[in-house]
Amino acid sequence: MIQTLRHYYQRFEQRRNRRIYIVPTRFGAVFVAFLLLMLLGAINYSNSLGHLLVFLLVSLGNTAMLYSNRNLAKLELKHVHAENVFLDQQATVQLVFFNPNNYHCHQIDIANKPEQSASRNFFKRMAGYIPRQSASLLESTKTTTAHININTTRRGKETLGSIRLSSEFPLGLFFSWTYFPTTFEVLVYPKPEGRLPLPNSNGISHKQSLKQQKGLDDFAGFSSYRAGEPIHSIAWKALARDDVLRTKQFSSPLDGRLILSWQDTNSISGTEARLSQLCQWILEAEKSGLSYGLSLPNTNINFGYGESHQRQCLTALALYHAD
Amino acid sequence: MLTKLPTKNAIKWLMLGLTMGTLPHFLHQPVWVSFVFIFALAWRAMNAWYSWPLPSKQHLFLRFIQLAIAAIALIALLFSYGTTIGRDAGVAMLCMMLGLKLVEVHNFRDFYVTTFLGYFVVITNFFYSQSIPMVIWMFAVVSIMTSCLIKVNDPSDQIPPRKMLKLANRMLLQSIPVMLLLFVLFPRISGSLWGLPQDAHSATTGMSNSMTLGKISNLIQSDEIAFRVKFDGELPPPAERYWRGPVLWQTDGTTWKELNRNEQTAITPNLNFKGVEYHYEVTLEPHNEHWLFALDYPNQLPKKLGAHFSSDGQLRSNDAIKQRQQYQLSSQTQFQFNALDEPYLDEALSLPNNHHPKTQALAKKWIKQSNTPRQYINTVLQHFNQENFYYSLTPPPLPGDAIDDFLFQTRRGFCEHYAASFTILMRAADIPARVVTGYQGGEINPVNDFLVVRQRDAHAWTEVWLKDEGWIRVDPTAAVSQERIEQGITDIMPTNMRAPFFIAPSRQLFDLWLTVNNNWNAVNNAWNLWVLAYGPELQKDFLKRLGMQNPDWQKMATWLAISIATVFSLIAISVLYQRKHPDPVTHLYQTFCQKLSKYDLQRQTSEGPLNFAVRASKALPHHEKDINTITQRYIDLHYGKQTTSINDLKTVINAFKPKKAP
Repeated sequence: MIQTLRHYYQRFEQRRNRRIYIVPTRFGAVFVAFLLLMLLGAINYSNSLGHLLVFLLVSLGNTAMLYSNRNLAKLELKHVHAENVFLDQQATVQLVFFNPNNYHCHQIDIANKPEQSASRNFFKRMAGYIPRQSASLLESTKTTTAHININTTRRGKETLGSIRLSSEFPLGLFFSWTYFPTTFEVLVYPKPEGRLPLPNSNGISHKQSLKQQKGLDDFAGFSSYRAGEPIHSIAWKALARDDVLRTKQFSSPLDGRLILSWQDTNSISGTEARLSQLCQWILEAEKSGLSYGLSLPNTNINFGYGESHQRQCLTALALYHAD
Repeated sequence: MLTKLPTKNAIKWLMLGLTMGTLPHFLHQPVWVSFVFIFALAWRAMNAWYSWPLPSKQHLFLRFIQLAIAAIALIALLFSYGTTIGRDAGVAMLCMMLGLKLVEVHNFRDFYVTTFLGYFVVITNFFYSQSIPMVIWMFAVVSIMTSCLIKVNDPSDQIPPRKMLKLANRMLLQSIPVMLLLFVLFPRISGSLWGLPQDAHSATTGMSNSMTLGKISNLIQSDEIAFRVKFDGELPPPAERYWRGPVLWQTDGTTWKELNRNEQTAITPNLNFKGVEYHYEVTLEPHNEHWLFALDYPNQLPKKLGAHFSSDGQLRSNDAIKQRQQYQLSSQTQFQFNALDEPYLDEALSLPNNHHPKTQALAKKWIKQSNTPRQYINTVLQHFNQENFYYSLTPPPLPGDAIDDFLFQTRRGFCEHYAASFTILMRAADIPARVVTGYQGGEINPVNDFLVVRQRDAHAWTEVWLKDEGWIRVDPTAAVSQERIEQGITDIMPTNMRAPFFIAPSRQLFDLWLTVNNNWNAVNNAWNLWVLAYGPELQKDFLKRLGMQNPDWQKMATWLAISIATVFSLIAISVLYQRKHPDPVTHLYQTFCQKLSKYDLQRQTSEGPLNFAVRASKALPHHEKDINTITQRYIDLHYGKQTTSINDLKTVINAFKPKKAP
C-alpha cells in the first residue's frame, strides 16, 4: 500500500515543474514595515482612501510574489559544455538556457555549488552557492547562452555541481531561486611546467635522441589527408598547387619513438611536480610532431600522435591517483 | 545580488514619481517649502543629465550645503508652524526631506527607502483630498513608483519604458481584486488610535457662529456642497425647506453672535408638533463645528450620532464635525416652540446702546399705530415689500450705522440685511426676536434624487416670540423677493455666476453643463457614501446585506481568508499558468495545415509531413510547388539543417493562399 503511494508520489514529483523557492528580501521586510505604518495612519485618521492604498500595496506585494515565481518558471537548462583546462587556468563553462514561456525573463543571477552537502537540513543545503554571472535577459521562446568562469584549484575532475538561478525581479521585494542539479565535470590537467628536456625512454642518450629527432625529418612522400592528422604535417605548398589536402609523411626509425615515463621524472620530488613535467613533455612532443607514448605506474598508453591521443594522455595525467 | 548602484534612468523615474506625488501639496503648503523641494529636484536633475556633483565623501562642501539647507528648513518649519508634529508641518517636512534625500540617493538602500516614502506621500495627499480626480492622479503616482522598483531591478536597461509601465500597471490591476476584498472585509476600527493633531481636519468654508453684514455674501459665491439630503418619501415644498443652523441673539450693531454656550442651562425646548412628517437622511460635509442641519425641527434626535438640542432649538453634535457625517431624522414643519414660557426673553429684546437711532424711532412710530404685534409685523413686512427695497447679491457697502443706512438709504441687500434689520425693528418695538442662520432651498439632482444644498443656499431669517404662540419664523427676505424663497437662490442668480463665462451665454451649452454637473455630482455622492464613508458602521450594514449575520472581526477574518485564497489562486493561475509555447517552426507549420484544412485536407496524426504534402498536392495540383517548398523548408528547419531561416518559412506560409482548382 505505502509502496504504491510512494510510487505515485514519485511520479507526481517527476511530472511537476521544478520547485521554485521564494523568500522576502530585506527590502521586502522594510516594505511591510512601511505598510504597517501607513495602515496605522489610515486607521488613525479614519481615512478610507488611505486604507484603499495600503490594501492595494499589500496586494501588489502578493502579485510581485507571483511575478517573482513566474520569472524563473519553466526555464530549461538545455546544454552544458566546457573545454578541459590546465590547472590554474579558468574553465569557461557554457550554459545554454531555453525560455519556453511567451514572456521574457529578466535579471537572473547564476550561481553554482560544486559539492552537494548530503545534509537533510534545508538551510545547509541552500548555503554555499558561489555567484558567477548574471543573465540580464532570457528572451521568450529562445535559447540564451551564459558563460561562467570557474577557477581551478586542483588537478582532476572539477564538478559543476548544482546550478542555482536566482532573481529579485520585478520589484526586488522577493528573492526567488531554483536549482538545476548537474553531473557535469571539467577535467583539469596538471599545470604544464618543468625544466627537464624531452627524454628518450628507450635508454638512448640525450644526444642520440636529438639525432633521432632529426631523423624524423626524413621526408618519405605524400599521402592523402585523413581526419585527425596534425595540422603541421599538412603539405601547404602542395595544397596551394592543386587544392588537394595531403600530409607529408616522414620516415622515422621505430626506436625514435618516445615513451614519456614516470621513471624519467625520478629526479623531481612530489607527485604533482612530476605530473607537471610529464604534461609539459606531452605538449612539447605533440608540438614537435613526435610519436609518443605515456607510461605511468598504473597506466600505459601506446605510441601515437594527434589531438585525441594528446587528450588521452593528458586525461591519464589528470586522473592519476586523483580522488 | 551583485553589488551595483541604481542607474541614472532609475533615478530619473524616481524623480518623476516624487514630483508627481508632492505636486498637489504645492497648492496648500508655503511657497518656500515647495522651493526647497524644487531646488533639490533641480540639483539631482543636473546630476542626472549633466553629471553635476552631488554631496558625497568626495564633495564634503556639497554635503555641508545640503546639511545647511536641511537645518535652515527645519528652523523655518518650527518658526512657521511652531511644531513639526501636526499634519501640515509633518507633510511640509516630508516634502523637504524627500527632496534632500533625493539628492543623496546613491545605493540600493537609499533608492528603496525613497521609493517607499514616495508611496507614503500618496497617503498624505489623501489627508487633504479624497476626491475622484485625486485618486486617479494618485494611481498614476503609484504606477510610477512601482515602475521605479522595476527599473532599479533592471540595471542593464533591457526593458523599454513603455513595457515597464505596462508591467507595473498590469501588476497593479491584477492586485485590485484582492485590494477590494481587503477593503470590504478588513475589520475597521472606529476612532483614532492616538490623538489627532490639531490641524488634522483643516477649516472648511461654511456657516460661522457669527454674522457680520457682508459675510454670507462670500458663501453665496461658493459652489461647494454643504450637505445632501435623501428624502424617504414626500419632499417638503420649496418654501418650507428651511435648514436651521446657528441662532444669533447678541449684537453690537454690526455683528451678531450666539448665546454664550457656557451660560446656557440645559433647558430642552418645549415643542408640540403637528402636520406632515418628513423622513430623510442628511450627509453633512465636514465644517469643523458642532451644528447639524435639519429641516426646521426634527421630532427626535439622530440615532447613530451623539447629539442634543440646545435651548434655542439647535441640533448640535457632541463632537465637532470633522468628517463627512450621515444622520437620519424626521421633521414636521408645523410646530409650537416654547409657546408658554421662554427663558431668554431678555436676550431676545436687548439692543446695542446708542445704535440705530433712526430705526428705533421708526419702530416707536409704527408700534403706536399697531394694535397687536401681528399687525406691527405685517406693517414692517409691507414696508419692505412696497417701498423700493431690492434683493441684491452685490449690495453697496455700509460704512456707517449699518442698519440705519440700509433701511433709509441703500435699500439693497440680501437675506442677512433683511433679517438683521427686521430683528432690530422687532426688538425696538419690544417684540422678542432672534436671527436664525442656516440654509434655505437646495436643488434636486435628477440623476440620483438627492437634494443638494450648497454654500450659496446659505440664508438668514428671523424668529419672533409671541405669547401663547411661541417662536414663529418670519422671513423678511420673502417680502422682498418671493422667488428667492420659492425657487431657491440658484434660479435668481445670473447665469454668469453659475457657470464659467464661456458657457453661460449659450443656452444649449449651459443645459449641457448642468447635466454634466448633475451626473458628476451624483457620482461624487455615490463615491462619498460608499467609498469614503466606508467605516465600521457602513461595513456592518454592508456585510449584513451580503448575508453575514452579526458581523464581528472573527467572521470577517474567516470570510477574508476564504475569499482571498480563492481570488488569489485564480490570479495566480492566470499569471503562472501559461501554455508552453511550441517552437515557432511547428507553430508556423500548424498555420499552414490550418489553411489547408479548409479544403478537407486534415493531416492525420500518423501522417508525416511528406506524405501529407503528396496528398495535398493531389487535391490542389495548382499549388503543388508552394506545398512542396513549404514542406521542404519545414523539414529542414525542424531537423536542424541551416539551409533556410524561420523568416523564409514565414514569408512563404503567409503568402500561401490556397484556392480551389479552377
